[in-house]
Amino acid sequence: MTEQKSAAAGPKSRRGDDPLGANSEIGKKLREYYDGLMADDVPDRFTDLLSKLERAEASKDKDGNAQ
Amino acid sequence: MSDASTFKTGLLGAIPSLRAFAVSLSHNSDKADDLVQETLVKAWDKQSSFQPGTNLKAWLFTILRNEFYSQMRKRGREVQDSEGTMTARLAVHPSQHGTLDLKDFRAALDTLPEDQREAIILIGASGFSYEEAAEICGCAVGTIKSRVSRARVRLQEVLSIDGEGEFGPDAIASQVLGSGAAA
Repeated sequence: MTEQKSAAAGPKSRRGDDPLGANSEIGKKLREYYDGLMADDVPDRFTDLLSKLERAEASKDKDGNAQ
Repeated sequence: MSDASTFKTGLLGAIPSLRAFAVSLSHNSDKADDLVQETLVKAWDKQSSFQPGTNLKAWLFTILRNEFYSQMRKRGREVQDSEGTMTARLAVHPSQHGTLDLKDFRAALDTLPEDQREAIILIGASGFSYEEAAEICGCAVGTIKSRVSRARVRLQEVLSIDGEGEFGPDAIASQVLGSGAAA
């Protein structure tokens, strides 16, 4: 019992404001849920969109410099 | 020009987390992707107001969140419920054997009020600090803390989780005392 106490007091006391930490079932599920969402492939529409925005920006800059 | 491409790379890298946050807010992946698209366009337009070296992800989350709430206001909060979250709200039955099914968990998450859900996601899943989450939500750090703690208590109730040795603010005390030994 004494052993258990000292083991628990060390790292856990430092995790004072991390109630969603590694030992929490809620915390674990939350990350599992979220990591599942993060793992989805990024649809092409987003990479396309950013390339389009970048091209628009580039041509704007060129116009700006030309004047 | 190289500024723009650094920025673009940053945006690209943030897309998975933006989508995850958007789905968490809107419960709907089509709506979530529209939200992400809108966020990227806005971010691009506001590029000059981003200070390099500060947290791009937090900045983007702020934009996405504002966009989400302004769309909600416009729509007058209608049918947030298209995917049967109301049903889920009425019946969350964690599986009998103590392991928590991810589907149960999602349903439980959906029962949370929006402010609590976003707080627990930002802190517990997106990896933001309380300070960053407060900034993203435009509220005080203490408000985020209390939302997270209420969300956690509520989830534990809904999912009938107990005996974990983690109960609210006294979690540390009960852990130190050794809930296992006491039981």
